[in-house]
Amino acid sequence: MAPSDETDEEVRADGTGIVPPDDETPTWGERKARSQGLSRLTYEYFERSRREDQDLRMESSYVERDVLGFPTWPHEMIRNLAITSFFVGMMIFLAATLPPHIGAPANPSQTPAVILPDWYLYWSFGLLKLGPLNPDLAILGGQKLMADRTYGVLANLVVVGFIAIVPFLNKGSARRPVEQPFWAAVGVFGVVFSITIAALSVKNLVPMDPHLLFDLTFLLPPVAGFIAYAVLRTMREGYMFELNRRYYRLRPPK
Amino acid sequence: MSLERKDDHDHGGWMKSRELSPVERGYLTVLIWLDKRLRLVDYLEILEDLYYKANLQMPKSHTEQYNLDNKFWYWYPLYALGSFSTIAYVVAAISGALLGFYYSPSTAAAGAEGSATVAYASIDFIMTELNFGFLLRSLHRWSAQVMVAAVFLHMLRVYFTGAYKEPRELNWILGIVLISLTMVFGYSGYILTWDQLAFWAGQIGVEMSLSIPLAGEWVAQLLFGGFSLSQSTLQRFYILHVFFLPFITTTLIAIHIGIVWMQGIAEPH
Ligand code: HEM
Repeated sequence: MAPSDETDEEVRADGTGIVPPDDETPTWGERKARSQGLSRLTYEYFERSRREDQDLRMESSYVERDVLGFPTWPHEMIRNLAITSFFVGMMIFLAATLPPHIGAPANPSQTPAVILPDWYLYWSFGLLKLGPLNPDLAILGGQKLMADRTYGVLANLVVVGFIAIVPFLNKGSARRPVEQPFWAAVGVFGVVFSITIAALSVKNLVPMDPHLLFDLTFLLPPVAGFIAYAVLRTMREGYMFELNRRYYRLRPPK
Repeated sequence: MSLERKDDHDHGGWMKSRELSPVERGYLTVLIWLDKRLRLVDYLEILEDLYYKANLQMPKSHTEQYNLDNKFWYWYPLYALGSFSTIAYVVAAISGALLGFYYSPSTAAAGAEGSATVAYASIDFIMTELNFGFLLRSLHRWSAQVMVAAVFLHMLRVYFTGAYKEPRELNWILGIVLISLTMVFGYSGYILTWDQLAFWAGQIGVEMSLSIPLAGEWVAQLLFGGFSLSQSTLQRFYILHVFFLPFITTTLIAIHIGIVWMQGIAEPH
């Protein structure tokens, strides 16, 4: 900044001139520090968070590996290309060997014997067939509280909603199934249930008594979950000993 | 601050003073031209910063630092399932765009003799007359199936490695939205063939939406354009399948992967 050669330039007063910053002009940092209300809070929090980062970095014993990583080119790129070509090739192979089928044209006046969505919606389709579990109330004279179909739609919402809130139910730093046999068992329950409920949705195609299938749908998942729980609990002793020795003793979980 | 250019901002002069190959000169000219107008340098800095943080300044990982049970990495291939979903999505997008050149979402009768609609007939055309049409449709079908399968398995991988825990809760919820979108994608595509199965699966869809408490009729009209299947159903599903869903899903996948980039892959401890 050379103020001397600018003094004789005319200063425009119509507000369009660019006013040179002088010593009185606040820096952006100062402007932010002077702000009020929510922006002030934001500023204060960001400052804190920046300081926290800095402190953590200072006290960390992590090794900064400056150029120790694999170079993106060629290593990573060639690996990615190879994987991508393999996957795309696999899809083309599938497409070439198992071409899709197209059924008879739509005919609104003739309901087909079997109506099915694609396989990945079977679980949802199965949840629509939970009519027998829809509670009927004695007060209502054995009437059902809501239509079977409404019940099915709600069942879908409940399942998806439960999966969505899993991170808020299961917290903590454990990651491996052996560390938390219970939650691993919940997962196994879910996987097996999604398979059995899918089988239930296509019960006309499953060569099995529909009642037996219905019972198995609700029996198999808890059994599988229980077995998973038992197995993981048994494994846990030895496993956690190692894990504690290596990891948690050095970095105790919060 | 005078508005006159200072010497050290004379980029043209700086370029002349250097010995540059034509490629370098061309590149710099374009870069400077764009930078003067868009101030690219700010964004380049952000990208550079991201790159260094992500690739070169990584702290030693838990597994390295504590010499953890490296058997965990036998499961490493499962960590490719997210990328696999993305690849399948891209293949489906490309083959779908090509199919879109030949498909028309109309329920008008295709010919005087049969009951087939124009939509059905256009798929018939793709499968029997168009060069490579059958392969194209097959590829679209399979990449969609593979994507759904990969997304399901990816979700299981995330669940069983506990990768959804703090700080990744948001990405998990975003994932739930993504898997739902993927399935709606599949369902809307399934309707487009307008064959018997498609029609009656659509019928079940109408009935399902009608049985949603309170909002049922509204949802049925919004999605299916009425309480029975018609031209408007097909047209809405077409627009859903080739316009709304691609935009929304692509954006969300980008955010999802962006968050993974920012947070890093969850490591086993
Ligand atoms: C369109 C579907 C999806 C795509 C394209 C996708 C893509 C990805 C990619 C590329 C990653 C990087 C790590 C990896 O590949 O395993 C990732 C991580 C992640 N995904 Fe997905 N994903 C999808 C659906 C889902 C679903 C359904 C969930 C769960 C409900 C989910 C939750 C997560 C979480 C929590 C992470 C972080 C995992 C970690 O840090 O180890 N995503 N996703």
